[in-house]
Amino acid sequence: MTWFLSGVALMLLAVLGCAVPQSVPIWEQPPPAVADEPAVVGDALHRYELDNGLAIIVLEDHRLPRVSLGIRLRRGAASVERERAGLAGLSASLMKRGAGDLDALGLASAIDEMGSALHVNADWDSVTAQVWGLTRDLDRLLEILADVVLRPRFASEEAVRTRGEILASLERAQLEPDYLERRFAMDALYPKHRAGLPLAGELESVARLDEVAARGFHSRFFVPNDAVFFASGNVDAEDLLAQVGRAFGAWAAAELPGPGPSMPAPTPTSRRIILVDRPDLAQARITVAQDGISRTDPERIAAALMNSVIGGSGFSSRMMSRLRADAGLTYGVSSGFSMRRGGGIFSASTATRASEARRVLDLVLAELDRARRQPPTGPELEVARALAVGNFALALETSDAVLGALVDLEVYGLPEDALDTYRSRVRATTTADTARAASQLLHPERAAIVLVGPADQLLPQLEGLGPIEVVHP
Amino acid sequence: MVALAILSSGSADAETTIDDPARRTRETKLDNGLTILTLQDRTTPVVSFQLWVRVGSRDEERVTGLAHLFEHMMFKGSKNIPPEQHARIIQARGGRSNAYTTNDVTVYVTDVTSEVLPLVIALEAERIANLDISDDTLTREREVVLEERRMRTDDRPSGLAREALYALTYQAHPYRRPVIGWRSDIENVTVEDCREFFGRYYVPNNMVIVVVGNFDEEAALAQIRDSFGRLPSGPEILRSSTREPPQRGVRRAEIHFDLRGPLLAAAWHAPPSGHADSEALDVVSEILSGGRSSRVYRRLIYDEQIALAAQGVYSELADSGIFVAYASVRPGASVDRTEELLLQEIARLRDEPVTAAELAKAKRRLEVSMVHQLVSNKALANRIGYDVTVLGGIRPLEDRLASIEAVTIEDVRRVAQTYLEDDGRSIVHVIPPPEPDPSPEGAS
Repeated sequence: MTWFLSGVALMLLAVLGCAVPQSVPIWEQPPPAVADEPAVVGDALHRYELDNGLAIIVLEDHRLPRVSLGIRLRRGAASVERERAGLAGLSASLMKRGAGDLDALGLASAIDEMGSALHVNADWDSVTAQVWGLTRDLDRLLEILADVVLRPRFASEEAVRTRGEILASLERAQLEPDYLERRFAMDALYPKHRAGLPLAGELESVARLDEVAARGFHSRFFVPNDAVFFASGNVDAEDLLAQVGRAFGAWAAAELPGPGPSMPAPTPTSRRIILVDRPDLAQARITVAQDGISRTDPERIAAALMNSVIGGSGFSSRMMSRLRADAGLTYGVSSGFSMRRGGGIFSASTATRASEARRVLDLVLAELDRARRQPPTGPELEVARALAVGNFALALETSDAVLGALVDLEVYGLPEDALDTYRSRVRATTTADTARAASQLLHPERAAIVLVGPADQLLPQLEGLGPIEVVHP
Repeated sequence: MVALAILSSGSADAETTIDDPARRTRETKLDNGLTILTLQDRTTPVVSFQLWVRVGSRDEERVTGLAHLFEHMMFKGSKNIPPEQHARIIQARGGRSNAYTTNDVTVYVTDVTSEVLPLVIALEAERIANLDISDDTLTREREVVLEERRMRTDDRPSGLAREALYALTYQAHPYRRPVIGWRSDIENVTVEDCREFFGRYYVPNNMVIVVVGNFDEEAALAQIRDSFGRLPSGPEILRSSTREPPQRGVRRAEIHFDLRGPLLAAAWHAPPSGHADSEALDVVSEILSGGRSSRVYRRLIYDEQIALAAQGVYSELADSGIFVAYASVRPGASVDRTEELLLQEIARLRDEPVTAAELAKAKRRLEVSMVHQLVSNKALANRIGYDVTVLGGIRPLEDRLASIEAVTIEDVRRVAQTYLEDDGRSIVHVIPPPEPDPSPEGAS
């Protein structure tokens, strides 16, 4: 993968540079024109499909003797019902605990001996198995990846061990502020639904899982016609295709698994406030959460740019200006859309000294409300657009990152050229678009508000906000 | 080109060679003492600009946390740039700017597309030449730093453990102080403290500029010469000469915090960055906790199932390094037993030779991780900046790989015996507060 500034773009820059009087400081001059080159230049990118439906994306990058390869499924934790929440994660973890001829420690040793890494992770919308290493180990890495994906052992003793680890992690998390604020916010938005539980599940659901359930998940979800093979690094695409054919060609296509439970409309029709008591904390953690949009929503760029202005862009955002720069009330505040296949969540989060919790909560809610009344101005949107375009280039610096973004498009069924059209779509977004996004998507009046901190200090501050549910974890 | 050693018994059929891009780094030294390191790579349209200042928490004399708080103040405006605008101007051109402070250095990192580099150089020179520190901005930023302290340390068991561990391990050396500073010091920092600190440490002869990526090298150097070259150099900076005396006996601390699974932290004194034993200690770290076949993973997490995570890692520091081990103990499990198991693994390293296979695996993991560190401009700039600022020159990849390759089974045992002595350890337990004794009335 190679990027080059085009000669035309450089000429344009030279012309623009000459047009600006030298006496004007550079920081007051208009931003320089940015050259939009394709995300992938030349013939580095290769796409194939095996007869069994396995999509293949290979991005050659011969600069370093390394390679990254993996399989990503188009389904994940969201496709499993609430009663078995955590199954996707348990199955993914178990796939690292023995595959093919190797038991758990044998597989770990094989990976470590190459200096490589093996990850199998489940997120809401996909499961990914991935290995990294040196190109000289490509054959062995591919062999191990195929064993992990096609021939995981799901040994009973490993299932007991892995489930024990997940349960212990969940038990440990029961007092962790980050976990608590997410847990109670999601439960308030989606009670009785899978989306209302953490990605890893909960103690009760995970306790019910075993190797039989994990094997069932694997046979139902690991089908080639619902998966993408990806590789980047110092590889020859044609040679690799032949190897992938040998490794995964016999993987039988099967009926696609169902999409799983779709995300329902969030339950609260009015604001709900939950106070989680952690008497020993110095800070109050504050989260305001509501429903958001899906990864494929046509409004996603307008929504992201609107969010950039209100809380998604760090120091340039309204919330950071008000809470940190103007008032010194927090180290950080941010808002963002978590976009999933079937829907999504919007949330704003921060932390402040317990004594200022109400003031900070009011400021966050005021900024969400203001976003609708005073949507992003032209100059604000201009900064958000520049940031989106610039961060796009920075985020795609490595071939692994470019490949990751391309696979993401595959997983969500988005157009193949979405990376190359991204910048022009950002630039075409208007203040009318972001105003519409703010007015349609932000609903602080029916958000779930979660505060984690010392209840004896926080409760008196929350007077007048409505009923407060106090939880003692 | 550098050849990676063939270490494993696996597919050792081809020698892997890599070109260490850092070899092409051009060093320029200005008359005022500023060091500039430039490395062009036209592959992607982005460039990383880093300003390294040789000042960290070890240099603080009267007020702890000053180096870190000052890092925040660098974003609070200068003669020609209003407060908060530095980062916003860069963001408005699509870039990212950030900074961090360690025990030894303060680093300002800006990543932008190539077109924006001249602006970044101009902004960086402007704040170094014309920084404006006012009571008003200091008052607000002090509150921000106090919030950061609450978030990262006061409300976080791992932060509390780290703070206590360094304070136990270093009793003489300034590394004993937390980088973020003690609360009372942060509350009492004055504008005068900041100005004095700035005048002493933010001088060209105490700074290193690193530029890596897609940029016009001659134009950048000319601009840096023209702007930074005008800054007067400062007098020689006298550093603390305090060295840590040998530790004679175990040091312990216990912290009470409302958590479900205890935390264990342990530390030993280790040699400084660039020491001849550094690579052998890196190998020790890998054998202990590199990957799921490592000793600590297998013993504490897999076999005994007493911890959820555990590691032992050598950390380089400029004056006096530290070997730190952490374990996240399972809820209901014993932190004392976890400590016992961890120490047994440390003792094994001292008492028994490691196997040839373990040594080969550790070396291989270290080699591959070095290759991975070459993938981005930022990672390269980090490596160059650290090596030059702390060690005075770039450690060639070839030398590092050769040093790793040269580590023997006996070296592993020797460094374990030298540095990981039982008597030289410091231990911190973060555990739930004891249950209050039931009162006689309550017990009825």
